[in-house]
Amino acid sequence: MTAPPIGIVGGGDFGWGLALAAERAGRKVVLWTRRPQRAGTAKIELAQGPGDLADAELIFFAVPSPFVADVARELGGCLDGSHYLVHISRGIVGEELLGLTQVLRSETPCRRVGALAGPLVARALAEGVPSGGVVASRFPEVRDAVREAIGGPATRLYSTDDVIGAEFASAAVGLFAVALGFAQASGLGPAALAMLSTRAMAEAARLGVLLGGKHETFMGLAGFGDLLAAVAGDGRPELEIGRSLAQGGSLEQLAKQAGYIEALGSARRVAAYARRIKARAPVVEICARVFAGEVAGPAAVQALMSREVGEE
Amino acid sequence: MLGRPMSSLVHRLLSRPLRLPAFLGPSPKPGDPQIFRFNGEREQIITDVVGRTVEQYQGDAKKLLYVLNEAGNAEIRRLSAQGDAEADDKLGAWRRLVKRLGKMTEEERVESVRAIARTMADDIAGNFDIRVYGLATRIVPGVLTAVMNPGNLPQQLMAGFSQLDTLITAEGPIEKLKRLAQIGTLVLVPTHSSNLDSVALGYVLMREGLPPVVYGAGKNLFSNPLISFFMHNLGAYRVDRRVSALLYKEVLKTYSCIMIERGYHSLFFPGGTRSRSGMIERRLKLGLAGTGVEAFSRNQVRGIHRPVFFVPATLNYTLVLEAETLIEDHLKGAGQARYIIEDDEFSRLDRVLAFVNKLSTLRSALVLRFGDAMDPFCNPVDEWGRSIAPSGQTIDPASYVRRRGQPTIDPARDAGYTRELGEVVARAYQRETVIIWTQLVAHVLYRHLVAATPELDLFSRQRRRGEVAMPRERLVREVGEARDRLLAFEAEGRVRVGPVLRSLAPERIVSDALAAWRDYHTRTVAREVGADIMIEDPNLLLFYQNRVLPWAEELATPETLAAARSIAAMGGKP
Repeated sequence: MTAPPIGIVGGGDFGWGLALAAERAGRKVVLWTRRPQRAGTAKIELAQGPGDLADAELIFFAVPSPFVADVARELGGCLDGSHYLVHISRGIVGEELLGLTQVLRSETPCRRVGALAGPLVARALAEGVPSGGVVASRFPEVRDAVREAIGGPATRLYSTDDVIGAEFASAAVGLFAVALGFAQASGLGPAALAMLSTRAMAEAARLGVLLGGKHETFMGLAGFGDLLAAVAGDGRPELEIGRSLAQGGSLEQLAKQAGYIEALGSARRVAAYARRIKARAPVVEICARVFAGEVAGPAAVQALMSREVGEE
Repeated sequence: MLGRPMSSLVHRLLSRPLRLPAFLGPSPKPGDPQIFRFNGEREQIITDVVGRTVEQYQGDAKKLLYVLNEAGNAEIRRLSAQGDAEADDKLGAWRRLVKRLGKMTEEERVESVRAIARTMADDIAGNFDIRVYGLATRIVPGVLTAVMNPGNLPQQLMAGFSQLDTLITAEGPIEKLKRLAQIGTLVLVPTHSSNLDSVALGYVLMREGLPPVVYGAGKNLFSNPLISFFMHNLGAYRVDRRVSALLYKEVLKTYSCIMIERGYHSLFFPGGTRSRSGMIERRLKLGLAGTGVEAFSRNQVRGIHRPVFFVPATLNYTLVLEAETLIEDHLKGAGQARYIIEDDEFSRLDRVLAFVNKLSTLRSALVLRFGDAMDPFCNPVDEWGRSIAPSGQTIDPASYVRRRGQPTIDPARDAGYTRELGEVVARAYQRETVIIWTQLVAHVLYRHLVAATPELDLFSRQRRRGEVAMPRERLVREVGEARDRLLAFEAEGRVRVGPVLRSLAPERIVSDALAAWRDYHTRTVAREVGADIMIEDPNLLLFYQNRVLPWAEELATPETLAAARSIAAMGGKP
């Protein structure tokens, strides 16, 4: 039987990266975008509307989190329980910090949903350079389908059933990447950066476990591995945003330059959630205050460094 | 030497449930629920269970050897510890099996699995006797009414046992459930507070014209011959929780799956065991209820398109028969260790009689609320049993078990669906919980106790008997305020408010709650001392108030918020 086409929603860099990776794997792709900026190829067909994606089995959502619900609702009318939906977003929604798989589940009839997390970036997918990531789903067939679609010798995809952990780790890494960019530009050295990274991930893991995730997810590729890739300079925009913030750039201006950055929208909600459930989250708290313009660079660094030292 | 066969014989006689002779029994009519045909299908069901269980292991030498070894050793361990008549009867056979296992051929091992599975399935399989069902429908309301209020029996007979009807209220989409029962297979998944749950549910199903259900009852519930007679002849199958062998679990799972495949409406308590704390269950593993998903898949593969409907339900008691034992067990942290409690109020006739007698003085004893039905993939279903997608369109539930156009059997996939279902059912529990007046009064009193002892940890606080009093006037005011908030939450569809709590004045709610606790519980819960209410038993207050815990913070006023937050925190993460 011929393998069904891969559906992709979103025509940004990541959407195209996924399309090119699937094309390299020999799969047909149907890509749906409202504003096509590139022409299709022999194997990548541009969809005229959501109905064109109905023939796909696996559909990737590569749109920023604020648009996922609307797009999913529109697409949902063309789907049924046989479709698999996987998103690549670092976003979390609402005050309860729900992952986008929850949005996909509530807006579409699909239950077999998942998330792609870890240090997989658009450029690596598009060019096929060695890279890797984590595919999270409670359904083994979804994990297998993602591997078949875009995995290969150059793209190593590990899998987990800890969807909540992978989604929150992904969101937290986005947030901490901004913080690390900020810290770098504020003059912190390698030891201080390492300290910030480890304390931040410990904090994310604490919150993630309270949300229902597993601690080990945060210590793996979806958590620490991803943060390491960000610091090593894989070209993601969060680090750059952090640096610009430390140099006095305004958030509005930065957002205009870099497009939608999930971390800037989620920091306040993560901090509020931590306060509400009485969980310790000093790094997130300071990030939220910096992003809200309540604390300036030196004061933020001072606040982080003056915290009481406890046991690891 | 003579003692052994005798005790074995006695054991056998006592452990075999009593059945009426099969001849002269009425035959099921068209349109009767599937369970009316059970006795005619029983042998075939057992054969199917054994066949499918053997299939699991046949052809995989390693798996086959492991399952026999595991079953043998687990049973030897259990029976040696039991040291009773059952041990006399079975221990030798298990020892011989384990000894011979290494020398057996593969065919011999397969036959051993077949024989063991056959014995297990035969032990599990229930029975359904239309005559016993008819008897139960006629006499149960009468017996209960007579026990509750013997002097009033003649009037009750004339009035058709209206007292019982008033005491036990059923709410929810009952007419819709009746229709769905004709279209597909119902899988009831209620909360679990008491051993009376299955009896109360069975009664309500009968009274409301819903079909009877089959369910797995703990074997310990069969120890009372009278209860055993009714349970066994009304479709209950026996689950021996003492048996930990994987093979037994497989047989049980297969039995439950095949029953749903064949269209038997089923009942499972997905929380697994009675809620020790009194809290609404939030983490559901679903266990055997998950076989509803597998049964649906298997039927689809065979081209049988009978839908399966999961129906969450909540049982909301004014008084819980076993409250004292359950909360004590919870506070000891012994819930896991004492998975099977055999010495609770349910096993003591005097406590059961005191409980039933107490019920006659209450305005309402139980509100059983059915939630809306959903398909195995958490989609709501309409009046005609069609699954409804978020877009409002109907959707084919079979699409969830299809892989590239073909329905498939995939246990790993179905485990994923089962997890999702557990989460959705747990959310439905909260929405469909009916807050009862005793629970709300307990909450306000307990909140006062927490506010008065902010420095104490849970265990120190529970020891404060007869030390903290609440002015009655304040209790009445706070109960009134909390009730009004609950009614507002109900309007938002977040919880339900019981009929008594809704209709009575706060003053009356408080006095009725104090009266309800009096005389039944062996310990005084709270008593009036002048213008105050003295808190006498923080444990029982905790048990009853725990049902309100998810709304504790929102029910508080600014002055009671700190205490309410401490209470909410006892429930763990939000």
